[in-house]
Amino acid sequence: MGLVTFRVLICDDSSFARKQMARALPAGMAGALSFATDGRDALEIVHRDKPDLMLLDLNMPVMDGYQVLAALQAEHSPVQVVVVSGDIQPEAQKRVKKLGAIGFIKKPTNPFELLPYLQQIGADLGAEAQTPPMDAELDIPVDAMDSYQEMVNVAMGRAGALLAGVLGNFIQLSIPKVNMFEGGELHMTLTHVTARDTVHAVCQGFVARDLAGEAILIFNDASFEDLGKLLQRDGDIDEMAKTELLMDMANLLIGACLKGISDQLERPFSEGRPVILGRNARLDDMLAGRHSLWRPTLAVEIGYQVEDHNINCDLLLLFTQDSLPTLDRQLTALGARR
Amino acid sequence: MSAMDDFVEIHRLVSLLQAIDVGLLVVDRDYRITLWNNFMENHSGATADRVMGKSLFELSPDVPEDWLKQKINTAFALSSRAYTTWEQRPYLFRFKSYRPITGMAEHMYQDISFVPLRGLTGEVEQIAIVLYDVTDVAEHKLKLEAANRRLQATSRIDKLTELFNRGYWEECLQQEFARYRRTPRDCSLVMFDIDHFKAINDQHGHPAGDEVLRQIGRMLYDTCRSTDIAGRYGGEEFGILLPDTSLANAKVMAEHLRQNAAALRVPHDPKPLRITISIGIAALTAQLPDAKTWVMLADQALYQAKAKGRDRIVLFDEHAEQEA
Repeated sequence: MGLVTFRVLICDDSSFARKQMARALPAGMAGALSFATDGRDALEIVHRDKPDLMLLDLNMPVMDGYQVLAALQAEHSPVQVVVVSGDIQPEAQKRVKKLGAIGFIKKPTNPFELLPYLQQIGADLGAEAQTPPMDAELDIPVDAMDSYQEMVNVAMGRAGALLAGVLGNFIQLSIPKVNMFEGGELHMTLTHVTARDTVHAVCQGFVARDLAGEAILIFNDASFEDLGKLLQRDGDIDEMAKTELLMDMANLLIGACLKGISDQLERPFSEGRPVILGRNARLDDMLAGRHSLWRPTLAVEIGYQVEDHNINCDLLLLFTQDSLPTLDRQLTALGARR
Repeated sequence: MSAMDDFVEIHRLVSLLQAIDVGLLVVDRDYRITLWNNFMENHSGATADRVMGKSLFELSPDVPEDWLKQKINTAFALSSRAYTTWEQRPYLFRFKSYRPITGMAEHMYQDISFVPLRGLTGEVEQIAIVLYDVTDVAEHKLKLEAANRRLQATSRIDKLTELFNRGYWEECLQQEFARYRRTPRDCSLVMFDIDHFKAINDQHGHPAGDEVLRQIGRMLYDTCRSTDIAGRYGGEEFGILLPDTSLANAKVMAEHLRQNAAALRVPHDPKPLRITISIGIAALTAQLPDAKTWVMLADQALYQAKAKGRDRIVLFDEHAEQEA
């Protein structure tokens, strides 16, 4: 099969990720690319254009990657699917293989990991395989918010895989929610926390050259009982034990997320020591009187939910406004890297 | 740089580690101590040459072995920093507070960082344990929290009856309602009202009416189990939230309430006042759209109790409602 006739569909809700995947393909393929922004969109294109290969994200709105795979399997579609995912839990890999995916690549997309699959399904890769397509050929406008979302998505996936390993359970990841936060009610940006919930929260500051922010991990009070059981902590889950669990989870999740972000930005971070924001209280009460210095901030929310258990938490990453130029610059560099 | 310069530089760095006013110790994979700075020497009373090469757990029986091993092992396994705060464990080493005379704390509160140290091969070979003295911060925070708790308690309590006030009680109701949505389980709501309360006020004066409310408040407090949530809903109306309680069990509890109220003798001149209460009960069900409706149903049952002659209990019956 020649490169020109080899058709590839890229399906991801993030324009940043779509561009990264496109750049990971050999230059000659740029002409035969099509794009979808969610699963339903992708199925339509599969039926219409009959692509040979689909690069498929897992966590997407409307219809996620698992649902797409299930639909393709049900209709015996000939399209070959390689999943490209920020969620790198072994269980996620197992599930997509079972649903017929031929491969699983972690984000951000590395062309050398993609290459074997292209060869496997018979794409004729000549010298062109060595060169990435030019940005001009690709013409994919990338939204800044999309690139923040994707950066966090990748970091979140790594942290989620660690958490899955420690708890021995599949972790359901949600799509990171990005918004410009103007102060006010923080819980409004959160998935698992309402104004009335009593929560336990810990926050940790981080700083790098021209970049600063805070990570806040928030556990619903109801989560600790199950969490204690899963971690086989003996004894009553009293307030002290809850704080112990909260700190252990903060070390794991915040540590891994910050490392994931620091790696992508190629900037070493300094971390402050974590501070307990509050225990068994409402989030707004904990933060009351603390907003005075807050300026419009980039807020990215990540929800983790342990499958089949009543354990869920929100991790909020906040970046100061003066960090945004640094983020933009470093992410543009990351998007162009190969 | 000459060897002499190297030596001077190393000497300077070591002096700095020794002099820095945080506790610093380094352990290897077998928990053996390979560095122990001045801060550790002075606070523990154990000199570096005595502890070097020894296991951390030989130092003192106070060191929480399982806990500390788990933290160190995790730092090795994940090659990432880990932190603990005084709020989860007040201290790792029991040191005296830095201000043994003017300070209030018996011991030093400690925040601890576990920092993986990579060897020349790039592998994590040792863990640095950094101890921060946070005694002042901890004392202030504990005091502040205690003050806030007192404040919060005052703002939640109805002064006269010493039950929860309506605002806080309704919050609890909302929470119970939200909890039911996540994990449904039996939950009942009891509303009651003092019969002919207006007449008591009119005939015997408001101080007598207040005393009745106080006594009802005490009676209610004594009758409730620790998990029940009792509040003063309005003038002479009270609400009790009974988590994990079926309608049948709520009725048993309500019957105790009714009898205890009837048995009250509220001191008054010339003779003590006797009172009765009317009670309505409604169970929480999946059909209820919000907490307000739940209160409304219990109130409806309460009005029926009044209409049927007072001093009695009526359960809200959804089937009867549907027939009607």
